[in-house]
Order: sequence, then structure tokens, then C-alpha cells
Amino acid sequence: MKLNQLILTAIVGAQFALPLFAADSEATNSTGAAQSESPALTAGGTAASAAETEEIEDLKREIQALDQKVQNLEKQHQSQQQAIIATNQEQIQELDQKVRVLSRQHELDQETAEAAAKLQPRFKLDSSGFLFTSADTNFSIGLHGLVQLDSRTYLGNNNVANSGFLLRRARPIIVGTVFHDFDYNLTPDFGGGTVQIVDAYINYHYDPQLQLEAGKFKPPVGLEALQSDANLYLNERSLVTDLVPNRDVGLELHGDLFGGAISYAAAIMDGAPDYSSTTVNTNLDSDLAYYGRIFVQPWITSDVDLLRGLGFGVGGSYEDASGVNGLTAGYTTDGQQRFFTYTPAAGTTIANGQHWRLSPQSYYYYGPLGLMGEYAISDQDVRNGAATANLQNTAWEVQGGWVLTGEDASYNGVTPRHPFKPLSGGWGAWQVVGRYEQLNVDSAAFPTFASSAASASAARAWSAGLNWYLNRNIRFDASYSHTTFSGYTGPSPAVPAKGEDVFFTRIQLAF
Amino acid sequence: MKILLTILLASSLSAVAGAKEIKLLNVSYDPTRELYQEYNAAFAKYWKAKTGDDVVISQSHGGSGKQAQSVINGLEADVVTLALAYDIDAISQQARLLPADWQKRLPDNSTPYTSTIVFLVRKGNPKHIRDWDDVVKPGVSVVVPNPKTSGGARWAYLAAYAYALETYGHDEAKAKAFITRLYKNVPILDSGARGSTITFAQRGIGDVLLAWENEAHLALKEFGADKFEIITPPLSILAEPPVAVVDKVAKRHGNTEVAKAYLEYLYSDDGQEIAAKNFYRPRNPAIAEKYAANFTQLKLVTVDQEFGGWAKAQATHFADGGVFDQIYQP
Repeated sequence: MKLNQLILTAIVGAQFALPLFAADSEATNSTGAAQSESPALTAGGTAASAAETEEIEDLKREIQALDQKVQNLEKQHQSQQQAIIATNQEQIQELDQKVRVLSRQHELDQETAEAAAKLQPRFKLDSSGFLFTSADTNFSIGLHGLVQLDSRTYLGNNNVANSGFLLRRARPIIVGTVFHDFDYNLTPDFGGGTVQIVDAYINYHYDPQLQLEAGKFKPPVGLEALQSDANLYLNERSLVTDLVPNRDVGLELHGDLFGGAISYAAAIMDGAPDYSSTTVNTNLDSDLAYYGRIFVQPWITSDVDLLRGLGFGVGGSYEDASGVNGLTAGYTTDGQQRFFTYTPAAGTTIANGQHWRLSPQSYYYYGPLGLMGEYAISDQDVRNGAATANLQNTAWEVQGGWVLTGEDASYNGVTPRHPFKPLSGGWGAWQVVGRYEQLNVDSAAFPTFASSAASASAARAWSAGLNWYLNRNIRFDASYSHTTFSGYTGPSPAVPAKGEDVFFTRIQLAF
Repeated sequence: MKILLTILLASSLSAVAGAKEIKLLNVSYDPTRELYQEYNAAFAKYWKAKTGDDVVISQSHGGSGKQAQSVINGLEADVVTLALAYDIDAISQQARLLPADWQKRLPDNSTPYTSTIVFLVRKGNPKHIRDWDDVVKPGVSVVVPNPKTSGGARWAYLAAYAYALETYGHDEAKAKAFITRLYKNVPILDSGARGSTITFAQRGIGDVLLAWENEAHLALKEFGADKFEIITPPLSILAEPPVAVVDKVAKRHGNTEVAKAYLEYLYSDDGQEIAAKNFYRPRNPAIAEKYAANFTQLKLVTVDQEFGGWAKAQATHFADGGVFDQIYQP
């Protein structure tokens, strides 16, 4: 409209200005005479005026037409703008909906993925081994392992065993859970040149206070015997372990009460002679053995640091044993040399009835200090021909360790605070250990049931060592053990009469 | 007096000592959260007054098909209150947790309340949606759950299909074309009815939500009657969500008596009132009359009438390779 008005004003202004200019020029065009209107000029002027008026009207009409055109153009422009805006708004709404749909789809996909993730099994691999668990944790299978490469160097003469290296244990340990409450363990051992099933059992653990175990496992008697092979202070267990069973086959009811303050176990099993071999998987006679153990850690959940690591208890067994298979194959030293067997000069000694064991035991752990002690009695009826006797063999031991690098000692091993990484200043954990032990054979065993020519009546040993835990999985041990014997008189020793001296080393991998 | 007081004290103590705490799990479909929240409190009060025992009812909600599968896979439901009989039949057939004739054990085919499918639209109904024909028009965005997982979605699908059958003289080809056009307008499929309500009402997606009637009313209540309105089409489907005791699970838990009572109470005046207040159409005629203003009258067709029953409808439309799989491409 403004443009239209400007044009109109310019045109109208020009139309009025032009006649004025013409009048002025007419006035100044005379040669000097004063301009005066002549009659002829007035008539012509009226005609010119009429023509001008018509022209003005024409121009006015033109202006109006132009004005109309401009208005139409403006309206058209507006409509187009509105149409464009409407189209843009529609497109924006469409895009908005698409974005919302994509965003919501993403939400739903995430929910679906999260729900699916909950159904996925989980896999874990770390210092404690490999574990594969179902999403609902009702099923799992894990693989652990224990490999021990030992060296034994026997000092002195007349040793039966040979110095050298041996693969003491090589065990893949397969564990797992089925249907949430049933655990299983299958452990073969490829060490020592034989293949055998060390452990094979199922444990039903509906409640930690009451569990049922069935299969082949360690009977609940000796404290050191029950300790894991990977966590021993020294290469071999003490003389006390000579008097307790190693493994047996049967059923056991067990549990932990009051947060672990009381642990109990009661088992009925095939029965096993003292220090039985792990290769036995069957009952060697028709009688069964009964085992029981109770172990108390009264301060395990208390705030009293000094007492929290104290535990004590007693384990025992009773069985009716008969025949050669009911009697121990013999007692061995730390160096695994046999120093006693039921081999009389004449006849054969066999088990002849009742055989009971009793083993009071205790341990104490406080910071880097670890102490363990136990006593064992193995009381057994024996026979050689017409001769019978009740023989009571005893053994005891105390052992201790101190972690020089300050980590906590425990029944379940030592975890280095700074695993071995020398460039980062990590040197693992170091521990000094020592043990004193003794085993006494009932003097009534000689000479009818055992020969002093081939067996000692007592053995005493002390050991000292240094353990280096590089990390949770690798360990280096070095120790020395000195054993002396009593009551051995014979010319053909099963072991050196003056005693046994052995230097041990071990490289252990456990996970 | 002392003796009397002693006796009273002893008997009240023994009553307290004898009072049990019973736990029930009700596995239900997606939109019944509010219904069972109110109902469970009422039933617990009723059972306490009747027996002195405390009943604690846990709820699980989700798409009806998914919920049925969860029970089949081991979810320990004492009772199931699902969207359609077919899902409970699946539990019976696949997991054998309840007998095949479960539906005869309670009145009205074990459906204490009914519902239907309506349209929830934006306030002002900008797309002028009045009937099923409007829903299938190009440019109309429809929100509905996945019929593979949601009972409500299956009811909605069958409602639309039934409309098409009625409109096109039971011409299956035309009905299929109709349903194809509907699902072409569906931009996203939630797994259950509640998810679709969130998509439509909270996320602002779509022009119309095909919803359970009760869900539509709840949406108005929760999100505001100034934002949405309910359009009841002239024809829809009679949705009959059934209930059942899961016999083997209830027996294992020692809950059979309570579980039965829990479902029977749905048919009581109290249960029917609660259903009606939560916009489920009660079976009880007197209570239906009392709450008639909550429910628009419309023509309701049944699955039996239009599709020959649920087993046939499931096999034809929702099984793998069925009509839905043929017409819907994500």
C-alpha cells in the first residue's frame, strides 16, 4: 500500500506540477512584452485543461489498477506463506511424531535387552578360577585347580626314598550347583604317577545349618587333615595325620550354627584305616564307621579382634574293623618314608574289632600370627594268630606361622596385599613357619604285632620353612624337616636309624 | 474373675499364636494394577475377619501371554487372573498346573467381570475418530500393543476384525485387508496394555489408543480429562478376562482354600463394586445398574460368535504364521 500511495502521489504531483511549469514558461517566453491572455490563448487553455483532466483520470485509473494488482500480489504472497507455514508445521509434527516413535522404540528395545540380559548366563574368570552361572543362579559350573611341583632332597645315607622332583598333586577341581540347593564336586588327581578320584560328592544345602553330603570326601576327624591341600604350612601334613583317615565314602550330615560359631558333622561311611590311601572307593569289609566332629569358634562374629580367630573342637570315629584291610598300611615321616608297619617277625597282624579315634584340636589366628595344635588317639584291637591286643597309638603336633609382610594368616591361606610385581614394588607375602610333632606307637605292639627290626616305636620331628605367596594363585615354599626315631633296633632299616633329614621345595598353582 | 481373665488371655494368646500369615501370588495381566490393589486390601480385611489369618497378596503384572509363559516356566502363581481364557488354557496344557476344565469351576466361565475395547483420543478429537473405519484411514496413527504378548491387543485386533466381518458381510479377504490397513497405521508395538498407555498418553505418540475400557478411564483420571477423551465405537468385542486357581502351586504352598476364596470373593457384592469402580463391567446385574453411568452401551460381539472360540482364533490369527504375522511387518 505504501508503494502504491507513493506512486499515486508522485503521479498526481507531477500532473499538477507540469501545467505550472508550462504556465511559467509561457509567461517568460514573451520577448519582453508583458504576458497577457489573449482570447485565442484562453480557448486553447480550456481545451488543454480538459485534456489534462482526462489524462489525470486515466492515470488515476491506472494507479487504481496497479493498486489492485499490488493488493492481489500481496494476498497471493500471504496465502503462499501461510501454505508454506502450514506445510512446514505438518512436516514438523510428522517429524516430531517420528522422533517420539524412535525414542519410544529405543526405550522398549532397552527394556527388552535388559529383560533378556537377566536371562543370560554369567561368566566369571578371576583368581578363584572359572565360574559359569545361569541367570537365575540356580545352576553353575566352575573349574578350579591345584598343581604342586615338589622337590625332596634327602640328606644322609640309607634313605629308602629318592631325592628328586615329583608332581605331588595335579588336580582339576570341578564344582558346581544344580537346582540352587545341590552342590557337587568332582576332583581327580593325576599327580604322583597315578590317576585317582580324590573327591566325588554331592552336597544338599537347603539350609546352611543342616546339609547332607554324599559321596567320597574327607571324614570329619583331624583338623589339619580337613585343611585344604593348597593352604598347608609345610609340604606334608604332620604325624597326627598318620592316625586319622584321609578319605572315605558315605553320608554326612553337617552344618554351621549361630553364624558359624558352631560347626558340626556326623557321618556314616565305609570306614578307613589310619592314613588310608585315596584310591579306595569301596568298603573293604562289611562294617561301617561312624564319624563325628564339633568345632567351636565362640567369638567369630564378635568385635573382640583378639579372640575372633580362636577355634577349638574335637573329632572322633568308631568302627568295627577286621582283617588286613582294616589296619593301617603304616605310618610315614614328613619325607613320606614309612617308619612303622604292623609287620611282625612272624605271622600277620590284622584288625580284630573295635577301632576308635579321638582328636582334640584347636587353632588361633590373629593378624599375621597363625597357630594350630592337635592331639590324636587311634585305639584299635588287633590280632596275630592267637594273640590279641588293644593298641593305642598317639600323636600330637603344634605348628605356627608368621606373615612377615603383615597380611593376615588364616586356616584358608594368605592373600598378599601387594601381589608380586617387582617393577611396581609388589613383592607378594612372606611367611615363616615351624612345626613340632610326635607319634608314639603303643609299646604293646612289639614284638607280637610289629617288629622293631623294621619299625620304630616313636618318631619326633621338627620343621622350619619359608613360604612366599606371589599372589593369590602362585606360591613358592622351602622347608627343612628333621625326624628322629625311637625303639628301632633292627639291622635293616625301613628308614635311617639316625633319622631323616629332608629339604623340601614346592611351586604351587592354585585357583 | 481372675480365672475368667486368665481364660480370656489364654484364648486370645492362642488365637494370636494360631493366626497364620498366608502369602499368595496373583499373576495378572497388565492393566489390573489399580483393581487388585484395592481388591487385595478388601479381601485381606475380609479374610482376617473370617478366619483371623493374615493374607499378604503379591501381584505380578504384564502382557497376558507373557505372564502365562512365565507361569509355565516356573513362576509360582497361586492364582492367575489373565486377559483371556486361551492363556490359562496354555498353562493347563503345557505345564499341567490346573485341569483342562478349569473354566467351569467358577460362575460365568470364570469371568467375574467383563470389559471391551474403546478408543482413547486427544482432547477435541482432532482426527474425528468415531468408528473403526476412521482408525484405518491414512494419516491416522494408532497405538495398540503387540497381540503376540498382550491379551488386550488380541481383544483389540479381534474387535477390529469383527467389525470388518460385520461390515463386509463376513468376507474374510476384505476383513484381512481392513486389518492390514489398521496395522499399517501402527508405528510401535508395546508388549502390554500399560506400555501402550504410556506410549500414547505420556510420550504423546499417536492419534488414537485402542484400549481396554478400564485403561481408558484410568488414563483420563491420571493424565487429565482435559487432555483426552473416550470414544466408544458402536460395535466392539465382549472381552471376558478369566480367573483361576493354579491347583498344583496352591496345593504345594498349602494355599488352596485361600486361593479359592480369593477368587470367589470377586463375585461378592464387595468384589463386584470394586470392579465397577475400577471401570470393569460387573456381572452382578444390580451393581451393573448402579454403575451404568460409567459404561456406554454398545453392540458387543463375542469371540465364540465371530471366531468360533479362542482356540480357533489363536490358531488362525496369532499363532506363528497366522494372519497377524502375514499382515504386519515391523
